[in-house]
Amino acid sequence: MSSPAKDSAFKGPILEARNLIKTYDDGRVQALRGVDAEIQAGEYVAITGPSGSGKSTLLHMLGGLDTPSEGKVLFRGAPLGSGADLDRFRSQQVGFIFQAFHLLPTLRAVENVQVAMLALRQSGNHRAERAAALLEEMGLKERMNHYPSQLSAGERQRVAIARALANDPAILLADEPTGNLDSVNSAHIMQILRGIQQQRGMTLAIVTHELDIAASAPRHIRIRDGRIEG
Amino acid sequence: MAAQLSFAGFAWKNLWRRRLRTLLTLGGITMGIGAFVALVGFSRAFEQEWLRLYTNAGTDIAVVETNFLNTSLNQSLEARIRAVPEVERCMPMIFNLVDLTPDVNALVYGWQANSYELDSLTYLAGRRFQDGKPEVILGNLLADDLKKTPGDTLPIQGTAFTVVGIFHGGTALEDGAVVMPLDEMQAISSMEGKVTAFHVKLRPAPSGESYDAYVKRAEKAIEAAVPGVHADPAADRAANNGLVTLAHSVAWGTSAIALLIGILGIANTMAMSVFERTREIGILRALGWKGGQVILLILTEATALGLVGGLLGIAAGWGGLRLLAALPQTASVASASVSPLHLVESLLIAIASGVFAGAYPAWRGAHLSPVEALRYE
Repeated sequence: MSSPAKDSAFKGPILEARNLIKTYDDGRVQALRGVDAEIQAGEYVAITGPSGSGKSTLLHMLGGLDTPSEGKVLFRGAPLGSGADLDRFRSQQVGFIFQAFHLLPTLRAVENVQVAMLALRQSGNHRAERAAALLEEMGLKERMNHYPSQLSAGERQRVAIARALANDPAILLADEPTGNLDSVNSAHIMQILRGIQQQRGMTLAIVTHELDIAASAPRHIRIRDGRIEG
Repeated sequence: MAAQLSFAGFAWKNLWRRRLRTLLTLGGITMGIGAFVALVGFSRAFEQEWLRLYTNAGTDIAVVETNFLNTSLNQSLEARIRAVPEVERCMPMIFNLVDLTPDVNALVYGWQANSYELDSLTYLAGRRFQDGKPEVILGNLLADDLKKTPGDTLPIQGTAFTVVGIFHGGTALEDGAVVMPLDEMQAISSMEGKVTAFHVKLRPAPSGESYDAYVKRAEKAIEAAVPGVHADPAADRAANNGLVTLAHSVAWGTSAIALLIGILGIANTMAMSVFERTREIGILRALGWKGGQVILLILTEATALGLVGGLLGIAAGWGGLRLLAALPQTASVASASVSPLHLVESLLIAIASGVFAGAYPAWRGAHLSPVEALRYE
């Protein structure tokens, strides 16, 4: 396995949050209240905190899924843009993994992985071959033509991981990736994510409130009430 | 080899997930385009039949009152029209749409026995009629429908007419028609001394003058000689006579309503589809799909509905047109032919309907916030 092809010569943090503020409902709800954080390239970070603390909101900002009300997110030292720039950032640099898997129900496993590659207009053969290879890597060679409804929860999350890797991103962002899994599958998924992070040298940020998962990360970013703790 | 997922294949899977709704939507646009193909095709064929009716007989100009459907001119004007130097022949005529049986109606022409228009007909049986006698000749299509041959009797508006001949005229308007002496037609229509039009055949155009310029000059001369009448070129008369205009209006009006229903069907389907797939669109945006790609996906689905519905509609409309041409009630005025241009026009309207109907749902889908869309239950 190769390291992410999108490494650059930039030596600073791959992602940096500067005074991120996110408010909703005309400012009445403050999800983030001035968050500063850095994540280094190839680092494995756990973002922890109680429910409603703003950890998922921070992850969404870092991944360009949402934009801050104030402050900015830097990717390799450059501020994330908006609109098409954010779309490009998400399609080329970030792979998302969600608690609810978020697979498309009408597509087979192998097609769900290819959907991510449709954003980059790659050839049909390339898409199919890469999707098959990634699913094989996830141990799903025999299940790639199954629909999500025909897969177990653990298998669905492995398909979601393969999809997150489809465009060879530099960063994997996982929001409670084991939240819907039993302990056996949780351990399996974490093993896969750690393996990917180590073997590919990818940056991995996991939002979790599970202590044992947080404990597996060398560094924690703790959030409480929209602020970094400690 | 793993299955490939193409952009079009993805759009297809999205449409096919709600099969019944997709099929019902296709049914709506199929009916709309089918109505357009059949009705507008019918009205255009009707216009072409009128044009052939004039050109086959050699009529250059029709002299009428302002409203062709309800026109009533004094037959005595014939002499003044004949006196115009450019006029070679001038034939008074009456035409009307008449119920012959409860199931069959037909165009009935009243012509004089010496009309030049009778010369353009091919007689398949019997002979021409004579003025002043209750005699008719029948177009071959109508004779077949009525099962009449020379010697049979045909009652028309309370008068028994003898069928004396069967002809073939080269247009459905003639082949499905009855032709009788003008004076008999005037008697059964209570139009003694009146006609609906004069058909004029011009002398050959002088060398050096174009046909169109010559006809225009002749029109002005006739209108100057007989104030209060319109002298129209045959082609204009074919396009603008009251029956053709009415047929065009009814065809376009009915088609427009049917198309509107079809477009609303697609718009409803796409709006529902975007609403139901809010979270899925959020997933696509999270995967880096651009807003434009989401728009393209939804428009592809809507356009596919329009295209497939259009093709089915063309087939249905063509079938409907053939049916109209075969029915006794409409065979006299319908032709089963559809011009390729009309088919292309129908398909373009179907595709445009899909794009138009999908535009707002596509815009809405593209402007969903990815985070809010992912949270959508």
